[in-house]
Amino acid sequence: MQHILDELEDRRARARLGGGEKRVEAQHAKGKLSARERISLLLDEDSFEEYDMFVEHRCAEFGMAANKIPGDGVVTGQGRINGRLVYVFSKDFTVFGGSLSGAHAAKITKIQDMALRNGAPIIGIFDAGGARIQEGVESLAGYAEIFQRNILASGVVPQISVIMGPCAGGDVYSPAMTDFIFMVRDTSYMYVTGPDVVKTVTNEIVTHEELGGARVHATKSGVADGAFENDIETLLQIRRLVDFLPGSNREKPPARESFDDPDRLEESLDRLIPANPNTPYDMKELIEKIVDEGDFFELSPDYGKNIVIALARMEGETIGVVANQPMVLAGVLDSDASRKAARFVRFCDCFDIPIVTLVDVPGFLPGVKQEYGGLIKHGAKLLFAYGEATVPKVTVITRKAYGGAYDVMSSKHLRGDVNYAWPSAEIAVMGAKGAVEIIFRNEIGEPEKIAERTKEYRDRFANPFVAASLGYLDDVIKPHSTRRRIIRALRTLKNKKLENPWKKHDNIPL
Amino acid sequence: MFDRILIANRGEIAVRIIGTARRLGISTAIVYSEADADSLAVEMADEAIAIGPSPAAQSYLVIEKIIAAARAAGADAIHPGFGFLSENAAFARALAAENIVFIGPNAAAIEAMGDKIESKKRAAAAGVSTVPGFPGEIDTVARALEISEQIGFPVMIKASAGGGGKGIRVAENRAEVEEGFPAVRAEAKNAFGDDRVFIEKFIRDPRHIEIQVLGDKHGTVVYLGERECSIQRRNQKVIEEAPSPLLEAKTRAAMGEQAAALARSVNYDSAGTVEFVASGVDRSFYFLEMNTRLQVEHPVTEMITGLDLVEQMIRSAAGEKLSFAQKDVTINGWAVESRLYAEDPRRNFLPSIGRLKRYEPPHEGPLGPGIVRLDSGVREGDEISIFYDPMIAKLVTHAPTRREAIATQAMALDRFAIEGIRDNGAFLATIMREPGFLSGEFTTGYIKATFPDGFQGAPLGPRAAEQAIAACAFARSLLARRLAGISAGSKAVFDWAVLAAGMPSMVRVHLAPGRGHAAITFDQAGKEQAFESAWRPGRLLMEATLDGEEFALTLKPLPTGWAVAIAGSSLNVIIATPNEAALRARLPLKAAPDLSRIVLSPMPGLVVSVDAAPGQEVKAGEGLMVVEAMKMQNIIRAERDGVVAKVHVAAGATVAADDPLVELA
Repeated sequence: MQHILDELEDRRARARLGGGEKRVEAQHAKGKLSARERISLLLDEDSFEEYDMFVEHRCAEFGMAANKIPGDGVVTGQGRINGRLVYVFSKDFTVFGGSLSGAHAAKITKIQDMALRNGAPIIGIFDAGGARIQEGVESLAGYAEIFQRNILASGVVPQISVIMGPCAGGDVYSPAMTDFIFMVRDTSYMYVTGPDVVKTVTNEIVTHEELGGARVHATKSGVADGAFENDIETLLQIRRLVDFLPGSNREKPPARESFDDPDRLEESLDRLIPANPNTPYDMKELIEKIVDEGDFFELSPDYGKNIVIALARMEGETIGVVANQPMVLAGVLDSDASRKAARFVRFCDCFDIPIVTLVDVPGFLPGVKQEYGGLIKHGAKLLFAYGEATVPKVTVITRKAYGGAYDVMSSKHLRGDVNYAWPSAEIAVMGAKGAVEIIFRNEIGEPEKIAERTKEYRDRFANPFVAASLGYLDDVIKPHSTRRRIIRALRTLKNKKLENPWKKHDNIPL
Repeated sequence: MFDRILIANRGEIAVRIIGTARRLGISTAIVYSEADADSLAVEMADEAIAIGPSPAAQSYLVIEKIIAAARAAGADAIHPGFGFLSENAAFARALAAENIVFIGPNAAAIEAMGDKIESKKRAAAAGVSTVPGFPGEIDTVARALEISEQIGFPVMIKASAGGGGKGIRVAENRAEVEEGFPAVRAEAKNAFGDDRVFIEKFIRDPRHIEIQVLGDKHGTVVYLGERECSIQRRNQKVIEEAPSPLLEAKTRAAMGEQAAALARSVNYDSAGTVEFVASGVDRSFYFLEMNTRLQVEHPVTEMITGLDLVEQMIRSAAGEKLSFAQKDVTINGWAVESRLYAEDPRRNFLPSIGRLKRYEPPHEGPLGPGIVRLDSGVREGDEISIFYDPMIAKLVTHAPTRREAIATQAMALDRFAIEGIRDNGAFLATIMREPGFLSGEFTTGYIKATFPDGFQGAPLGPRAAEQAIAACAFARSLLARRLAGISAGSKAVFDWAVLAAGMPSMVRVHLAPGRGHAAITFDQAGKEQAFESAWRPGRLLMEATLDGEEFALTLKPLPTGWAVAIAGSSLNVIIATPNEAALRARLPLKAAPDLSRIVLSPMPGLVVSVDAAPGQEVKAGEGLMVVEAMKMQNIIRAERDGVVAKVHVAAGATVAADDPLVELA
């Protein structure tokens, strides 16, 4: 028996070597950890159980028969993050450049199936060269099998993709269909076609970094939901993210003990709104001061910055925060911001995460570029997402809520559960100046009259009381009590039951 | 006594005056500019009257507006605070004409002391010692020698048009006058086109010491001891204390008598300050000027005399007699004041404006060996605006001895947590531990001499390092215990690797049941030290004890680890699992972007002009552009030689702190 046990140990040791020490060292020299090191950091100590470590590819062509490495370029298995089950696959760049063979794909789909069945998040770590070209169509089939499972798992278990090296061609579409993509600055890139092909086809000369680096996707394209400094920071932040999320849509998001006082008052919020309605202020300060311990996990912080989306906790329970950011473009809704927030609202709705919406929005962004870019449909996405969401929705209007953007931002009319406003709120079709210039167009030559009309309009609408008198707001609250009031509202919504009419699925304006 | 006084000021001094008025049963009215509409002083006053736009020249300095406000408020007296109209004789006269009492000295006294030359003459006449010198022009070396002999060596030979360190020489003897006099003349001619030169006594190891005087309308003047104000930066006082570590009873009395004599000579009838320069070598002292108002640093005098100077000013103005005589004035213990400014000590003290996102000052009352007093005019969420002095608060401590007052001050500064703007707290906390300051032997050149290359944070002592690590390890353990779902009612042991330069590499945290107690062991062989803190995640300030020793620090979470500020030092501490530490060691350090190549904006502001163009060769120190902030034009200079590769902003652009301005190749 002993020699059989020894052989098992031997085989395991060989598998764990991956592409060998030399290649692991090369990985380190590039500022990257190995596939197994990454898993060891992502998961609780000694919690990882590896599956399929003895799997090898089945390709006999182009001399591949003699070139087999156990594991075949991906490490898969399950483990715990702060005690909670997750499934993981981590591409091993040291083995065939992490390229995807039929066997490699089968390892991934196996854990995808397990995660879906057992109701646990899937985390994929990417650092690979794309398809195993020697395998041809078998590799393509493998990709599609993974894609199909990404699609089926969407909205059932959280799926997180972490790009920690190259990710190109077929490899990009699996991350694209997951809930979140995170990248590592300077050592990761992702694109559909690389610089060489780009040069041939369009004559554009770009580097990997310029075409698909973390900076590009976290700021310009919005493909990535965040970028971090190095492998270690990235994986620790993924742990932090997972702490907010339920294992699946079959369970409530996890609650944890809170060190914070639910009745905490923040007097300084009474002075957050500047005297001048056109002066910006930082909406993140409001978020920081109302959530537990000032701790929130912002998603896409550098893209569509005119809206802030974040996961946070109140009384220890996960919430999603959507907030217009007056610091950037006055907090206006444009295509990027609408899409960014819409996807997040739908994510929260999938996983039973209550949504707290903080509103200071002057409207939708006017302009040829926005209209040509399809602002109508992008804006409609956010409208649609809020309207279909059945999770608890609590809204606080801090200042402006103008026009259609008022409707969109989780208004009462879109089944907002509890809608509050600060006394500084202005709920109107538009700002007073613009409104007067339309209503009293014939008086435009008379500045005194216009000024008077503007004052009249402002006195009538530049406050929350018209909306409150119509019941569109449930209460006008003092800024310093915002945390306490939101928490009380959320407490009443713990057993909220609301269902949409049966349908196969909806047809959101994609 | 008055029924209602109007405060023609703002900020902490307005709050300070309201406090005393309230105690005396006098109602208060305050004026305010647009920028101050939501200020604490306005909230506290019984009535507030708007007086227009934010710039002081259009509000706080407009005499008619102040008088109209006093009329509207029905105030029978005005306290001007300091600055603004406090030393404006025309204002005092205008009030007299309106039958409103000016809470300050009579207009004639303000006028007499307001003129530098006039005040020196008066001082000399009153028997106050003035700096020996010859104010007229000197033509020849022979005459220069003669005058120097009269004054007594060492002397200072100074160009009339001089400034910026140019055209000044010190001569210790005749030979140095013979050599220095022509040199200064030549230098002055070259530098300023003006070769007039004068000579005066050179004061060795100069210190700025001032005497508080107090008078009433019945001819009584007393002096209330001195204040030591030598810790200055660009002629701006930063730290003051009372008494002065330099003076002994005899000099103190001599100085006080002279100050009181000067005050008497102008019928001084309020609180005022006579400033002297004193030599640290022989305690000789000479008159500089008299300030006919309440001083910013008056609290240190209040702490050691037990008097309320604002109250005394109000009583004198109301015609009351001083209720005590010189012999009743006693000095009790030691008081130290730090001025907390909205400025960045690590960036050559550039002003830093913005919203006080967090403002958690130390508690007033007993702390360590002394007590804390805080004179502050702001609250969390207030704006430090560009329009006024960037002082945030005055932190005052009082204790039986100087050593204890300073120790209390250091403790209080460690417990001052501010976020949203930069402040000079770390700089002040560093001075409170600096041997030169502690020794009491310093001069007005202290800051320049102690921080010749600017301030880069205090050196981190080994005990402070251990405290910082213990704090972070405790925080990390508390979070880890919660994340792991371990009940706070049970014990838990965590072994962490410490990643911070030059520190213990391992720390073991043994969390006791509950939330506030732990045992900390550094490295394997270290002894177990008890740790205690009521800190909770989300708080900026942590107060704790390690092995019975009290300390406080601020810690802000970073993506990995914490940014810690302790005792004037700042450092990043990463508390890692052993696995994380091992993996970190395997990765090469990421090359930080070469910041000397990229010139960043040191503060938010407006680009006034751009003087660099791509391709241009520049030398280190050469001006690249001008950025205006808080009405100050700041020249942005190249940090090294190079060729301009890229100019990121154009004139007229608004820039934030750390925005890239110019890139050098």
